[in-house]
This record gives sequence, structure tokens and C-alpha cells, in this order.
Amino acid sequence: MLRVLINQIRFTALQAIGLVAFLAAILAFLVISQSIRQLGRFGAVDNLGTIMVVAVIRELGPLLTALIVVSRSGTAIAAEMATNRVMGEVTALEAMGIDPYIYLVLPRMLGAIVSVATLMILFDAVALVSGYVAAATSGMALSRYTAIVLKTLSAKDVWLTLVKGVFFGASVAVFCSYHGLAVKAGPTEIPQAVTRGVVATIVAIFILSAVFVVVAA
Amino acid sequence: MTASQASVVLGPGVAEIAGAPPLVYRDVALLDRPDRRFNLVVEAGTVVAAVGDEGSGIGTLGALALGLLAPASGSVEVFGIPIARLPYYDLLVFRRRLGYAPQGDGLLQNLTLKDNVALPVRFATDHRLREVDARVAQLIDEFRLRTIAMLRPAQASEEDRRRAALARAAALNPKLVVLELPFVGLTSRAATDLLENVSRCDDGSRRAVLLTSRDLTPSVRDLVTRAVRVVDGVAVEDTK
Repeated sequence: MLRVLINQIRFTALQAIGLVAFLAAILAFLVISQSIRQLGRFGAVDNLGTIMVVAVIRELGPLLTALIVVSRSGTAIAAEMATNRVMGEVTALEAMGIDPYIYLVLPRMLGAIVSVATLMILFDAVALVSGYVAAATSGMALSRYTAIVLKTLSAKDVWLTLVKGVFFGASVAVFCSYHGLAVKAGPTEIPQAVTRGVVATIVAIFILSAVFVVVAA
Repeated sequence: MTASQASVVLGPGVAEIAGAPPLVYRDVALLDRPDRRFNLVVEAGTVVAAVGDEGSGIGTLGALALGLLAPASGSVEVFGIPIARLPYYDLLVFRRRLGYAPQGDGLLQNLTLKDNVALPVRFATDHRLREVDARVAQLIDEFRLRTIAMLRPAQASEEDRRRAALARAAALNPKLVVLELPFVGLTSRAATDLLENVSRCDDGSRRAVLLTSRDLTPSVRDLVTRAVRVVDGVAVEDTK
């Protein structure tokens, strides 16, 4: 089980680092470049911190990270679970007295939670750096950028990111596992199960995001 | 005598009736025909073969014995307990007293043959790592898997996969083993070798075995205590 957990973290987190960092850098660069340009016209560049923290770190970062994980690992989890079901491996586990939810789903859920939370922190860190690069290209000094961002950034944003990581990660594993294990007809149903799992997870993540906005407010 | 009076508690909610036969099918409708009832008793230390064609009903015997399927009518008792009536988690614990090799092999494809054999010992016991390793090494030797232990099922031959599946079924040294079509595609010699291995407990005594088969070769028949032919869901004593 520990091996499955380690493999899950390796595949979900380690192998996704490059993609998450790249998208975080691009997103933050675009948002901050455009914001500086638009805010500058109204002399409201000091609101850059609000855009960085509220839009990128609090909302888009977790959402985009979760979507990356769904598209990479959620599909893999759903396909793997469906294959396990079709090949009779789930029945074999039950016949041995091993709870398939503990053996198959739990390590993937823990792995997804750890991975999503970690990737969200990475996303935020890269976004902050990339945001500075964008600000610097518009002539903003590091000290000013730091002051503007830190004025808005709070400890609440950090724990909110971690809590979102837990919920989003669990959603990826639970919904994709559920739809994978629900396969009955045979191998032809596996792609459908993957699609159902991914769609359900995306919907759940967006709903959870909305819930977090309400609860955190 | 009620079940509670004569039972030995094995764990939370799991008990067995003292002296009860390992496996009893009582008036079970294997097919969608209520007038055809299947009756069979597998006594302790015996090897019973249920032989039948596709559609005879033998395909569900294993699942019924494990409680993976509930009988539409009648009952299936394992060590005196109507297994289908156990709650899910008690059923999981109870199944650790049985060995089961499903049709095909039921091996986990992402594990090596060795890890497949180790699976029940690792997850269904509280053995320490050293004890698990010792037990797995013993099974690997008994079932002659040493040279291919690190292969994955897809890399192994059909006979080796079947060896691993039977080693896994015997891993917890159960008193009852249920084998579904275990010898399909194997030579007569390999089949007798496997049956010899799987029907012997760790202490050398014989364990109860129920195996289903399309047919029995003479050499396998020699190792079987009792053979019944299943015809349209009914067991008929095989006198051949």
C-alpha cells in the first residue's frame, strides 16, 4: 500500500512539477502584465496585490492545479480502477478478505491529497516570482512589488490553499475511483468511465471553489 | 443447538460452528430454475470435484462459496455459517479462512508473482515483515516459483500464473480451498502436481478442496475423493 502511495505521489506530484510551474509562470505573467497596463491608466497600480492574491493565488491557482491533476492523474486513476474491475482483480481482493477500498482507493486518495496540496503551493510560489518578472518588465522595483503583494497576502491564503488541496485532491481520487470501479460491462466501458470520472471531478472542483468563496468570506 | 451456543468466535461478528463441514450447498438454485436444486457437502480433508459443462451451473459455485454471490434460494454454509448473511466487513474477515483461485488466475497485473503470493499474508494478517517474508519464501519454494517470482503475470506462462494463483490461495493455510477451473490449459502432470500441493496443509494434513472442472483427467481423478457431475444445476454422483 505504501508503494502505491509513493508511486501515486511520484506520478501525480513529481512528474507534474514542470507542467504546473510552466502554467503558473505563464498565467501570472499574463495576468500581471495586463493588470499593470490597465491599472496604470487609472493610477491604481497598488491594487496589483489584490489581483495577484485574490485572482491568481486564491482562485485560479488551486483551480488550474486541480484541473492539471484531473487531466493527468484522474484519468489514470479511473482507467486503472476500471481495468482492475474488468480483470477481476477487485473480486480477487475481496475474496482474499482485503477491502478493495482500503487497498486500491485509500493510497490513491492520500497520494492525490498530498500531491494537489504540494502542487498548489508550488503554483503559488512560481506565480509570485513570475508576477514579479512581469512587474519588473514594466519598471516596477522588487521592493514595491513585494510590499504591494504582502499587503494583501495573509496567513489565511496559505491555509486556504492547503485546505483546498485536501478537498480537491480527495475529489480527484474519490470521483475517478468511484466511476472506475463502477464499470460492469467490460473493457469497452473503460473510456466512458474515465470521461464520467473526469467530468464529475471537474464539476465537483468548481462547486467546491464556490463553496470555499462563501465559507472563507 | 443454536449457532450462538455451538460457535467459536473468531473475530468481531465472525464465528464458526464447531464440527460443521467446511462447505455445504443446501438446495441452491444454480440456474434460473427453482425446480433444479443443487446439494453438495465438502467434508474436512476431502477433495471434491464438481464437473460440468458451460451453462451447467458450476460457474457460480466458487462465488457462492466465497459469499461473492448470494444464492437466489437455498443456502451455502461455510464452516456452518450461512456466508451470504454475514455483513460486508465480517465477510471480508471470514474469507481469510478460505483459499480461492478464481477462473483465469485473478492475479493483480501490476504486481510480481511474488507480491501476488504475498498479498493475503501482508494485508490479511498481522504478521511482521520478517514473518511475511518467511511465509512467502516457503510458498515460493512449495509451488516452484523461485526462478519466475519477480515476473509480472503478463510475462509468465499460463502454468506459472496458475501456480502463483494457487500459492496465493494457500497462503493463509486455510482449511478450505475453492478452485475454479484450475487446470484448464495445463498438462495432466502439472495439474496433479498443483492439486497435490494445494490440498496439503502446512502440518501435512489434507485440507478440504472444492474444484470445478469441465472434465477430469485420470491422474487428477485419482487424487479426488469424490466427483459429482453437475447437470442443469443438479449434482449427480460421478461413478466413473
